[in-house]
Amino acid sequence: MLTPSLERLIAELSRLPGVGPRSAQRLAFHLLKAPNERTLALAGALTQMSERLRPCSRCFSFAEDELCPICQDQRRDRTLLCVVEEPSSILPIERTHEYRGYYHVLGGALSPIDGIDPGDLRIDELVRRVDAEGVTELIVATNPTMTGEATALYLSDLLRGKVQLTRLASGLPVGADLEYADELTLGRALLGRRVLE
Amino acid sequence: MTDGHPWRVHDLEITDVRCWNHLSIEIPNGLVVLCGPNGAGKTSIIEALVIATLGVSPRTSQLGELIRASASVMRVTGTFSESRAHDMTQHREIGYASGVGRRLSIDGAPVRQLAQWRRPSSVLVFMPEELRAVKGPPAARRRGLDRLLEAMVPGFSEHLSGYQEATTQRNALLRRARSTGIDPASAFAWETRMATHGAVVVQSRRDAITELRPRFAFWLEALGGGSGGVLELESSPSNLCAVDNDALVASFVEQFARLRPRDLAAGLTTTGPHRDDIWIGIGDRDLRRLGSQGEQRTAALALLLAHRDLLRAAGSGPILLLDDVLSELDPGRRQALLAALTGDEQVILSSADPDVSFADLPAETTIFQVRDGVCHV
Ligand SMILES: [Zn+2]
Repeated sequence: MLTPSLERLIAELSRLPGVGPRSAQRLAFHLLKAPNERTLALAGALTQMSERLRPCSRCFSFAEDELCPICQDQRRDRTLLCVVEEPSSILPIERTHEYRGYYHVLGGALSPIDGIDPGDLRIDELVRRVDAEGVTELIVATNPTMTGEATALYLSDLLRGKVQLTRLASGLPVGADLEYADELTLGRALLGRRVLE
Repeated sequence: MTDGHPWRVHDLEITDVRCWNHLSIEIPNGLVVLCGPNGAGKTSIIEALVIATLGVSPRTSQLGELIRASASVMRVTGTFSESRAHDMTQHREIGYASGVGRRLSIDGAPVRQLAQWRRPSSVLVFMPEELRAVKGPPAARRRGLDRLLEAMVPGFSEHLSGYQEATTQRNALLRRARSTGIDPASAFAWETRMATHGAVVVQSRRDAITELRPRFAFWLEALGGGSGGVLELESSPSNLCAVDNDALVASFVEQFARLRPRDLAAGLTTTGPHRDDIWIGIGDRDLRRLGSQGEQRTAALALLLAHRDLLRAAGSGPILLLDDVLSELDPGRRQALLAALTGDEQVILSSADPDVSFADLPAETTIFQVRDGVCHV
């Protein structure tokens, strides 16, 4: 009973995280019943996103111009740089209102079993920024997971002597990504950050 | 922690396990003797109790081997309680179907992870045909000790799995560095994580051995195994510095870094807590390799009782499952063993002796006759 275009939509929807074939079907039928302009608006948003979004040339978060909105903001504190694994970690840190520096997105964490070595992350770019931008404190906000902790250790060894390295205080849920931490806990962990030896 | 939380099994139902087509029994407290000829299925009842608590068999690593010859699915269910005072009962179920795999549930609710289902402190098992705790590979001895620590030391299993995860990462890095020539310098990050978790693992194992040692020596002698019983943790690497946790971490970091060229050539981590062993001996004689069958049996039993003592002291009372334990003990040692079992725990032992010295057994002993596919009081 499904037409080819409907089948294609369901197939695409079921690739989304947390969406199984059944909920993909439900979503597809919901979209079918929605007014035409709503589905076209959704399609337009998707097209615009994939056409316009690109990595920020400085921090590698999402940008639509050369620089992302945060890197464009001249009023932030140039001496502070916060290293995260993915752009998704930036939003929860911003929501705490406890941080006024800039960010650097590594694009993941070290994980040899998945074939991710230092050369696969934006670590060279990070070293260059630390040298060039007058950074005095580097906050290592990789996730409190095995791979995030190992990445923090690697960075602290690599950049020791060049810059003061700090790590978020403990108290964050161990084994989970930063994006799942609530603002209050994350804000406290930021304020209580400790110097990495 | 001082209040005991003794484990009890109240009933057990077995479907298509080894020789059993179907068996349903109620198991009372105190001493329970399964009595019957060899091959009647006594050991399989004990095995089923282990499976119902730990999810693994002490006799095989393949649950599929347990499925009765003409069946395709086996199932073990049982009602257990953790504490007499609070009467916390749970209905546990494990099933295994060839080609489908294992299914676990507690009180009817499916449990996906074995770690969430298994109860490492709830049973201790002795099987004369499986003396792996004494003469098996190092991994078998380590596993027995780690199971004890999992039950006794909060956070131990997280540190153990953290150590294993970091080691797996380091091994993957070394293997790729060996084949592609990439710089293995980032290995130190994994080595630091291995050291942090490994130090806790090793210190916990050392502490447990210190606690077990006098108890093992005591029971070995009481059961006629002779005096001078010794347990020692054989740490890997053997020259670990040990004064405190920080020194242990530093020592691990240094050793892993120093051995990196050798490990790089091997493509794996050649030393560390994953290579620890436990020396079991009398004086300086190694019972693991040089002990007679009888000595190894006695040592396994003494080790089991030492574990029992420690779990009890920590407030947990395991069910003791002792397969064919009386047959090779002389009357004096039988008495010593039975005297050791008069605590408030539940003990299930099997015997093929048709006239098991009933005179020796405490008056409140329950005797099941196991023969011809039935089991009755
Ligand atoms: Zn940016």
